[in-house]
Amino acid sequence: MKISADHDRCEGHGLCTEQAPAIFELDDDAELVHRFEGTDIPPEQLAAARAAVTSCPVAALRELP
Amino acid sequence: MPRRHEVPVYRPDIYSPQAILDPYPHYAKMRELGPVVWLPEHKIHALPRYAECKAVLLDDKTFVSGDGVALNAIANRLSRGTTLNSDGEDHTRRRALVAHRLTPRALRALRDVVDRQAAEIVDAALARRTVDGVEVAAALPMSVVPDLVGWPAEGRENLLRWGAATFDILGPLNGQAVRAVPAGLGMARFAHTVAKQRKVLPGSMGDDLLRAADAGELAHAECPALMIDYLAPSLDTTLSAIASALHLFATHPGQWRLLKDDPGLIPNAVNEVVRFESPLRAFSRKVARDAEVAGTALPAGSRVLVLYASANRDARAWEDPDTFDIRRDAARQLGFGHGTHGCAGQGLARLETQAMLRALVARVDKIEPAGPPEWAQNNIIHRLGRLPLELIPA
Repeated sequence: MKISADHDRCEGHGLCTEQAPAIFELDDDAELVHRFEGTDIPPEQLAAARAAVTSCPVAALRELP
Repeated sequence: MPRRHEVPVYRPDIYSPQAILDPYPHYAKMRELGPVVWLPEHKIHALPRYAECKAVLLDDKTFVSGDGVALNAIANRLSRGTTLNSDGEDHTRRRALVAHRLTPRALRALRDVVDRQAAEIVDAALARRTVDGVEVAAALPMSVVPDLVGWPAEGRENLLRWGAATFDILGPLNGQAVRAVPAGLGMARFAHTVAKQRKVLPGSMGDDLLRAADAGELAHAECPALMIDYLAPSLDTTLSAIASALHLFATHPGQWRLLKDDPGLIPNAVNEVVRFESPLRAFSRKVARDAEVAGTALPAGSRVLVLYASANRDARAWEDPDTFDIRRDAARQLGFGHGTHGCAGQGLARLETQAMLRALVARVDKIEPAGPPEWAQNNIIHRLGRLPLELIPA
């Protein structure tokens, strides 16, 4: 499973970083850093990743098959 | 309307004065009836459950905002030109004009100032000891938001009343909405004067707007509506969240103790407050093309009511939904809406509410009820109107 991030839509609310700190972080400029952009999410991170997707307030994160 | 008889019907008026004060029993009955419920009183399909609310908010091409999000045609016509009532590229353009100032990114610079103001507000409340929690809750939004939008010092005394009225008008056309019309027009008139006479504070969002208009990025005539867009929804809503937080921690001392012991819970506590006592009851969407929600046909041109406050208490989505628990993961609550039209000011609302909780946790030992709370009458905003509290210093 991959997760796409729409960086234009992201406003930096940071809820994903609370749900899945191993996948997402905000850099010093509050820009989203997605550690698994374009690659599969590690199995042990799947639940956290899905929680991040559902918590994004502006729906900038999408689960890809 | 086809096959309406097959859709469960909920006859009580969920906008009656009594239902406005205590809406949750109505929402519970509607959720039991089904995923889509017909409200004959308002001639609208309502969505009382979480999954359908979220799905409709995400499908903003089918369920559009451009023809208004109110429950009455007059308000939907009057609120043309606002970001709230726009779609697609037009919405993106309007939102980009001002929302960039409201992102957590842009608000970082504000955090220290807001923290300091919150500390002063809590110190002043502690000095009085017995307070109206609603007044305490109003203080921070009233000191932060008008400066940010650039509203001149004059006219600020009317802002809370005008803002509440602007929301009231978005409900059904009941007595509550009709009584709010003069105050709603008062705000519109004042915003026009402010834009026309360029009375906005330099460097503010309002200033940004006027400069964008000067540069031809939007029409000058669009400015007043856009200013109201960011002013009216930023006061009563955040006031609601802060007042509800005070009320909930006063009535749940165990939860207050948890928060005192671990202030790291504050961000999620704000999510849980907004889930449990959602400041916004509901907005509508217009169905742009024939659609189906949970097997119910929704014809093009009809309206659907997205009940955020009910979705946030849906047992299908939340374990023990009527229990206030700051340890639950409440991040996916729908109190700020969701997706493209998700609240543009939620970063600011979170910043203010978290700042108040940080200031309270550091200075207050106990929050105790000092009399019965009263809820306010408003078609859209669910908030306390009076909240007698005693604050016991740490």
